[in-house]
Amino acid sequence: MSITDKIKTTLYELQSFYLLCLHSIFKLFKKPFYFDDLIEQMEYAGASSVLIVSLVCLFVGMALSLQLSAELSSLGLKMYTGKIVGIAVIREIGPLVTALVFIGRVGAGQTAEIGSMILGHQIDTLRVYGIDPIKKVVIPRVIASVVMLPCLTIIGDLVCIFGGYYIAVLVSNQSGSFYWSSIIRELTFQNVFSGSIKPFIFGYLISCISCYYGIRTKGGAKGLRISTTKAVVTSIVVVIAMDFILTRILLYALGFSL
Amino acid sequence: MIVFDDVWFSYGSREVLKGISFKADFHERIAVLGESGGGKTTILKLILGLIVPDKGKILIDGIDITSLKEEELIPIRRKFSIVFQEGALFDSLPVKENVAFFMRELLKLPDEEIYSRVSKLLSRVGVQEAEELMPEELSGGMHRRVAIARALAIGKTKMFLYDEPTAGLDPINSERIISLIKDLSDKENIGFMIITHVVYVAWQLCDRFIFMKDGKIIFDGNKEELISSKHPSVREFIKELFFKIKEY
Repeated sequence: MSITDKIKTTLYELQSFYLLCLHSIFKLFKKPFYFDDLIEQMEYAGASSVLIVSLVCLFVGMALSLQLSAELSSLGLKMYTGKIVGIAVIREIGPLVTALVFIGRVGAGQTAEIGSMILGHQIDTLRVYGIDPIKKVVIPRVIASVVMLPCLTIIGDLVCIFGGYYIAVLVSNQSGSFYWSSIIRELTFQNVFSGSIKPFIFGYLISCISCYYGIRTKGGAKGLRISTTKAVVTSIVVVIAMDFILTRILLYALGFSL
Repeated sequence: MIVFDDVWFSYGSREVLKGISFKADFHERIAVLGESGGGKTTILKLILGLIVPDKGKILIDGIDITSLKEEELIPIRRKFSIVFQEGALFDSLPVKENVAFFMRELLKLPDEEIYSRVSKLLSRVGVQEAEELMPEELSGGMHRRVAIARALAIGKTKMFLYDEPTAGLDPINSERIISLIKDLSDKENIGFMIITHVVYVAWQLCDRFIFMKDGKIIFDGNKEELISSKHPSVREFIKELFFKIKEY
C-alpha cells in the first residue's frame, strides 16, 4: 500500500469513527428506544464489573499506601499518607484504574460481541428489516458505559481508599481517625469535580472506540482477534492521553496553581 | 423486478464482480452458482443495498438503489426475506424470541398473538420442539429452519433470498431444507434466489441458473440450456450433477 493510500485509509477511518460518535449522540433522542437492551448492557457493564473493579482498586490502594507510608516515614511525614492517598485516588488513580479495568472487561466484550454479530450477519439482518444497528446495538452500549463507569469509579475510589486505610492503620500503625479526617478534608469541590467528570468522558470514548472496531470487524476469527486487540490498545492510549489533557484543563479551570 | 446493469464491485484491491448484468422477476426460481469466493453472496448484499457497487446500476422495481440512503432502502428491503448462511440467529435469544424478534420490533403485535404466530411458524418449518432452545443448542439443519421461520414472520415478501442454505449440512438435513424451500415457494407462490455451489441443490429447486466465474457471468439459462452448455467451466461444474442423476 502506498503512502497516499495509507493516508486516505486513515482519514476514512477517522471520518467513520467521528460519524459513529456523532450518530450515537444525535440518534439518542430519536425513537424507537431499546430499554431492554439498555438494561441488559447496564447490567453487563455495571453490576457484573463491580467485583473485578473492587479487587483491582483494593490492591492499587494498598500498594499506593504502602509506597507512601514507606517513603513518608523516612521523612517523618507518615501522617500525610491519608491526604496524599485521598488526592491521588479521587483526582487521578480511581478514574484511571477503573477505566483501564473497564476497557479490558467491558470494552473488549463490546468489540467481540459486535464483531461476532457482524461476522454472523446479525447486523446485516437488522439492517435488512429496517432496524438501525446504531440505535439497537451501539447506543445502548454507549449509554450503559457513560452511566456505569462513573458509578464504578465511585466504588473503585472507595475501595482504593479502604485499601489505603488497611495499610496505613493496620500495617503502618497510623491513626485511623486522622487518616479519615485527612481524606474528608480532601473531598473539596475541585477534587471531587476533577475526579467525577473524567469517567463520563472515558466511558463515552471507550464504548465508541469498542463499538467502532466491532462494526469494522472482517475476516473471521483472526479479524475478530485483530479488532478486539485494536479496540483495547486504542482505548488505553486514548484514555491515558485524554486523562492528561483533562487534568491540564481541569487544573487550569479549577484554579490550581502549578 | 431486479436489474443489474454493468455492476462492478471490489473488496479493497480484489475485484469480485466485473461488470455483471442480468434481469430477474420476483416470481422466478433462480440459482446463482459458482466457486466459493466468486462473488455470489456479494450479489445478495447488493440486491439488499447492504453494500454499494463501485460502478453500475441496480434497479429494484425500477428504482436505482445504488444512490439511496439507509432510510430510503427500508421499503426496498421489505420486498425480500433473506436467510443468511448459517442462519444469522441472535445468539442471546432463545429460538422463539428469535422468531418473535421482528414481529415485536416492526409489527408491534401483542405478546399473545406473537407467540401464537411463532408456534405456527415453527411447526410449519418442523422445529416446534426447539422453541425454548438457545441457538447454540440447535443442529445446523434446525438453525436454518428457524432462520426460515424468522424470515417468514414478517410476511409481504416478494422474493426469498437464500445464501448457501445447505452448506455444511448432512444429506438428510440438506434434503429437508430443499423440500422446505420448495414447499414454501409453491404454497406462497413466491420466487427465490438461491446462492449455492452445489449444482444438485440448484437443480432440484430452480428453473434458471446463473453461473459465475472470476467475477463474470459465464452462463445464464434454464435446465435444458444448462445440460447442453458447451462452456468448459460450466461442464466441469455440472459433472457432479450427472453423477447424482445417474445414482437416482
